[in-house]
This record gives sequence, structure tokens and C-alpha cells, in this order.
Amino acid sequence: MANRGLKLLRAGVALVVGATLTAALIDFRSLLPASVGRWLASIQFIPSAVALVTGASLSLACVVILAVTLTAGRVYCSAICPLGILQDVIARLIAWVRRQRRFLPFAPPARRLRWFIFWATVGGVAAGWAGLTLLLADPYSNFGRIAGDIFRPVVILANNAAAGLGRLAGVGTLYRVEPSWAGTGALLEPALLLGLLVVLVAWRGRIYCNTLCPVGTLLGWIGRRAAFRLTIDAGSCTKCIECLQVCKAQCIDLRRRTIDVSRCVACYNCLGACPNGGIRHRFAWTRRPSPRPAAPPVRAAAAAVADPQRRAFLADAAVALAAVVSGPGLRAQAAAALAPAVPEISAAICPPGAVSVDRFLARCTACHLCVTACPTQVLRPAGWEYGIAGLMKPRLDFARAACTYTCRSCTEVCPDGALDRLDLADKQVTRIGQAHLELDRCIVKTKGTDCAACSEQCPTQAVTTVPYGQNLRLPRLDPELCTGCGGCESACPVLPTKAISVTGLRRHGRARRAADSKAAAPVPAGGFPF
Amino acid sequence: MNTRRDFLKAGLALGATYPLLSVRGLLAAAPVPPAAPPAGQPILVAVRDGSRAAMLDRAMAELGGMAAFVRPGQTVVIKPNISFDTPPERGSNTHPELLRRVVTLCFAAGAKSVSIFDHTLDPWQRAYAASGAGQVAKETGAQLVPGNDASYYREVAIPGGVVLRSARVHSLVLESDVWLNVPVLKDHGGAQMTAAMKNLMGVVWDRRFYHRNDLHQCIADFLTWRKPALNILDAYHPMVRNGPHGRSEADLVEMRSLLVSTDSVALDAAAARMLGLTPATVRYIKIAADMNLGTMDLDQVDIRRIKLG
Repeated sequence: MANRGLKLLRAGVALVVGATLTAALIDFRSLLPASVGRWLASIQFIPSAVALVTGASLSLACVVILAVTLTAGRVYCSAICPLGILQDVIARLIAWVRRQRRFLPFAPPARRLRWFIFWATVGGVAAGWAGLTLLLADPYSNFGRIAGDIFRPVVILANNAAAGLGRLAGVGTLYRVEPSWAGTGALLEPALLLGLLVVLVAWRGRIYCNTLCPVGTLLGWIGRRAAFRLTIDAGSCTKCIECLQVCKAQCIDLRRRTIDVSRCVACYNCLGACPNGGIRHRFAWTRRPSPRPAAPPVRAAAAAVADPQRRAFLADAAVALAAVVSGPGLRAQAAAALAPAVPEISAAICPPGAVSVDRFLARCTACHLCVTACPTQVLRPAGWEYGIAGLMKPRLDFARAACTYTCRSCTEVCPDGALDRLDLADKQVTRIGQAHLELDRCIVKTKGTDCAACSEQCPTQAVTTVPYGQNLRLPRLDPELCTGCGGCESACPVLPTKAISVTGLRRHGRARRAADSKAAAPVPAGGFPF
Repeated sequence: MNTRRDFLKAGLALGATYPLLSVRGLLAAAPVPPAAPPAGQPILVAVRDGSRAAMLDRAMAELGGMAAFVRPGQTVVIKPNISFDTPPERGSNTHPELLRRVVTLCFAAGAKSVSIFDHTLDPWQRAYAASGAGQVAKETGAQLVPGNDASYYREVAIPGGVVLRSARVHSLVLESDVWLNVPVLKDHGGAQMTAAMKNLMGVVWDRRFYHRNDLHQCIADFLTWRKPALNILDAYHPMVRNGPHGRSEADLVEMRSLLVSTDSVALDAAAARMLGLTPATVRYIKIAADMNLGTMDLDQVDIRRIKLG
């Protein structure tokens, strides 16, 4: 029974992590505190590594994951990684539809493809394309997009149907919410990936994790050297294939009674399945005198002289690591040296706390946790607005909504350090864009009637109105007070091109805060002015 | 369509002769027996220098109590201005103390249900919470209903409108027996000021139509469709500049006043004066008066000026 315990523990943790993270990404009523989503996202490998390597925060989750992997294998892949958990859910659904569990026999690893994808990812990061490469590589961010862009709108539609029925029945606890579908371009990737996952899981179990996922490849490489490895006790094994029946990673080679630990996702199904208790963790570091993998991989290189292949790999890894660490930094320095003094314009507006578009694109892995946390849905996945490096990354779209002055939800959830956590006072003077007023298009001028929809929305009153013409009021903009929240643009009724619009800033700035003296009483105090 | 107005007239007449029967709490607050209005003149009650609740109690006593407007078993919808995600002390929204007292009086008059909604500018959940309306609903048993969802709105014809000939109106306004307008007095960058009539933009779905097609005319046009049973204006600390959003508490001037009237135009005319404006220069007031939707000339209004404490 003790053998089942580990599996139950794994399944229990996975259930809690998967369900809570999914709930946080779907949470269209903001019922969960921001800290829940942020915490569960911050313990994911890539976001934590990005935050640590870029110096955004002392996020040690990635180090812990590496250490745990080096101790006991790819525990992360089955218990913490939401994309791994999702695949288990898909497998269960498929088994439920088919009314039987699919038997997946042992299969040899697709080593070349695996390492090709891994090195392509490392190469991409080293070349300064970390933002785009990690976005595709990170299983957590991929899950975030699937849950946020596909599951969430579907749940919202179901909620709306239920709210409609509730209203007919006179129950008002549910309310309708406008489902926010990502643009076609941004929806395509998570939709394709979800489809691919269903096919792959049905066909080859966890082959995504074992072949396509670069995090799986890295953790597999470390897991192969883990202190405690799952092994088959040759003495008790009768080759009854009970373990094969439950293995989803196709990594148990019964012919040789070995387990390919690099592909084992530590689901522990086989432990309970073996009638003889023949599969268990065994301390493996005592077998060979060297290498001693307690040391980090780079130091282990010195010990592994005997293996030229490994040495080449480790040398590559060291170079890549150095490039990963220094590449974006050097690029940023070069960019800073070339940057003109005036703030540049960005075609897309990135969220407060991003500091600059360049920093944002280098760090954001497009997990869409901020997109789903945004109460106005002004944050939407970008198409080409940022260029290729910004595909699917959040941008503010003022066509229908604006950034709420009193809200800082996006900055509270970001696990990558792509958005600094701002306190509200800070956020309220952070300038993400700059409004521009085209008075010649303004209704007050073109039609000669009052409007001021822009000023009505402006939280800092950067847009006010001044007397104009025959008892009219014309908008006036004080650019220094503008934070670029887009209230004016979203409200402007002029078609097709708005009379006031916000341009993104490549580097965010600071708005001046108006210091108002007390307003004068318009009429004498005390009586009734009528 | 006229039944409501008829009912109100009946209610007013009833209130004048049969005062304060069912609202026990009001008896103490009504030292003066209500006087009958001069024939044909709308009544405007203006109260000063009390708490919002006390001023409302006093004003309602003058009008025959809430029972003159809400009969037992009726459904009530309250349209406050709770459009902004700002706290009560910023004065952007109708104050929760006033809202709470209105709801309480409605229930005391025997209302079957009281609903509150606004088509907010800021996200409605945040605006409802920050304005204090959420707390009021929780305490009083009123229902908070979203106003930022197109499915709640139904198209109505506005045959009397000059520009606004139809609009999508919140179904609560269409379905409730009694409709109370509970705005807050503020400066307004576009409409010059906002009080009773401007607040009714918040029961309409497509406000951009107003902005695009002569704001003032549309505001007045809407009143030809239907008028609220009663307007209760929070003028405790009006926002006298930077409205309607406001920037800080420095934009407010304390006047500790409350205006109540069935005549939206008369109420707005008096409110304009409180902001130092001439009513006829606020175009929507002028248009509404010209369209005979109410009385802009305050000399033609039976104003009850009451100072508390």
C-alpha cells in the first residue's frame, strides 16, 4: 500500500495545483485573490527562471525544481506543471470515452528530435529571442493560453447561459460577462496546441513532455542522474506487464528490465501496479565513483572527462547559459546606447509595470494570467502589433475599454517579472502611453454640439473642457497629467477615426500629479441660491 | 404611458390629505404638516444643514411620505449615480447614506422589492463596491443589478424625441412599478452640470448616440419617453469642477443640501443655481423647458425651503 501512497500524493498535489491554477485563469468574477494565481505561476520552472536570470526577483522555484529533479526525478512534470496535469486529464477523458485505458508499449526515445528542440530553444534564447522562444517553450505559459483563451470564454458562455436561466427563475446570483475571445491570430496557437495534445496523448501518452517540451528534456537529462531513481528489481520482476499497462511515458523497457528515467514523468502509477513491489526508488549515486552529480552540471563537466560526448554537451550548455544570461543584457545595452533622448513610440501599448516595451518583450512568456486578471478586458493578446517578438503578449486595446485608474491587477499576478509589482499610488502616475487630441475631428468642432465623453472618463483630468463658441465646451489636453490609460480614446464617439487617441511609449514615463487647491464656493454659503 | 403620471398625481393628492400614515419613522421628522401646493405648480423641496438621512426624511414628509410614491407590494427601481470607482468622500457618486435611507423608506412603505442599478463608466463591480451601493444592498436587502450588459436592455420607441427617437432602456425601468431617480450634483465638462436629467443617461445602453447627436437634445428627448416618479438630488458636497469624474476631494464644496421634486426640470434648474449657473444657459434644461417637460422658471415652482438644525 505504501507504493500507492506516492501516486496518491502526486495525484493529490496535481489536482490541487491544476484545479486552482485553472480556476485562477478562468476567474472572470475575480473571486480568487491575485496572490493565488501569482503564487502557482511563480513556482513554475520557466517563469521562475526568467525572473531569477533577469534579476526581476529572487525567484528560487526553478532552483528548487532542479534540486528536486536531481534528487528524485521529474516530479515537476506530473505534480506541478499544469500542461502535464492537463495531459493526464485529457488521457482520462479519452479513456472514459473509449471505456478503456490504452495500452502504450515501450518505445525508444526520439533523442534527436528531443535535443534538436532543446538546442533550438537555447539557441533562440542565446540569440536574444528569449521572449518568443520561451513563450513557445514554456509548458506553463502554453497552459495559461489554453486555459485563458479557450477554457475561459467557454466557461463564460456557460455562465451566461446559466445566468439567463437564473434570471428567468428570478435568481440573481449569476450575471452575464462579455466573453473575451483572443484575436484569431492569438487564438490559433493555443487552439492548435490543445488539438495537438489531444492527438498526441491518444497516440503516445506523454510524448509531448518526453520529446517536444524543452523543459521536460532538461529535467529528464538531470533526472537521469538523480540520486533516487525508479528501478526494476530484476529479482521480483516476472514481466507480467502490469507496469506497462499504467505507464503513460512509454519508458519501461521490460525486455531489459530498465526504466528510462529521463522520460519518466514521475507519475508513480507503476509503483502501485507491480504485484511484487518490484519497482521502487533506489539510491543510485553509490554505484559509480564519478561523476558526483551533487554539483551543478557545469562543475560536473570537470569530472566527466571520460565522456567526450558529455563534455561537448556541457561545454555547449555553459556557452549557452552564458549567452542566455548576457545576451539580452548586451542587447539592451546596445539598444540603450542607440536610443534617442525623446521617448520613442510603440505601436502597441504594454501594461503598467513593464517599464519598457523591450524589457517587457524579453521577459513576458505570454501566460495570459494578467489578461485574465484584467477587469475591463482592455488587456488582450497581441497579434502583430509588437512585431514577431510580441506575438500573443498582452497589449492594451483601447477600442472598447480602458485601463482602470484604481486597478493594478496585471502587475499583481505576473510571475515572470515582466511587470513590476506596483503599488496603486505608483501605478497611478505611471505613463504607459500619451493621449493626442485632434480637435479638428472633435464633435464639438465638427458638429457644434457638446460631448466631452473623453473628459468624463479621464481620471487625472488631463482632459478637461474649456468654453468654446456659442455656449460649448471644447476638450483640452494637459499632456503632463496623462497616464495613457485610454479612457478618453475608448469613450470618444467619433467614427471612424477617433478625435483623441493614445500612442504607446517604448519606455514608460511618469505623469505629473495635479496639486489642487480647494475649490471656491460657486454661491454664497448658508442659504438657498434660488 | 400616462398611468404612471396619473398615479403620481393621485399619490401626491393622497399624500397631501393623508400624510405619514405608514412610515412611522417619519412622524418625528415632520413638525410641519404638509401644505397643499398651489394649483398646477410643481413642488420642489429644498432642505439644508442636516444629515442626508434627516434631510430626506424631512423632504419626504413635505411630499406626503414615501407612501405617496410607493404602495405596498410594488416593485421599485432606484437609479443612483454610482458610475465611478471612487469612494463616497470623492463625491462622484450618490452617497451611500442617502441611498440607504431611500431604500429603507421604500421598504417601510411596503415595497415588494427594491432594485438598484447604474450603467457605470468604470467596471460596474468596482463602482458598485467603491460607491458603497454594494454595502447598502447587503444591509437593506435591496438587489444590485448589473447595468453594463446589453442583454438587460430593451428597445423602446421615443415618439416625442426630436433626435433620440428610440433607445435601449434597462429592463428594470420597464418592468418596475416605481422608478426613483437619485442623482448627485456635479459639474460636468460636456453637459455643464449633471443632476436629475443627465443621470437618466445611465438607464440607456447606447450613450454614444447621445454624444454623437447633440448631447443636450438627447438628454431632454429621453424625458419625453417617461419620467421618474421622484428625483432625489444629493447636493451635500457637490463637485463644482473637474466633473463628472473629479480629481480629488478639493473639487467638492460642502453645501449640505438635498433637493427633491417630481419635476426633473425644476430640480435641475434649482441645482444649476447651486452651481452658480443660470438655468437657461444649461442647454438641456432650456430645451426640456421649451418642450414642456417641466418648469425651468423657479418662480413658477412651489419651493419649500427648509433649514434643519
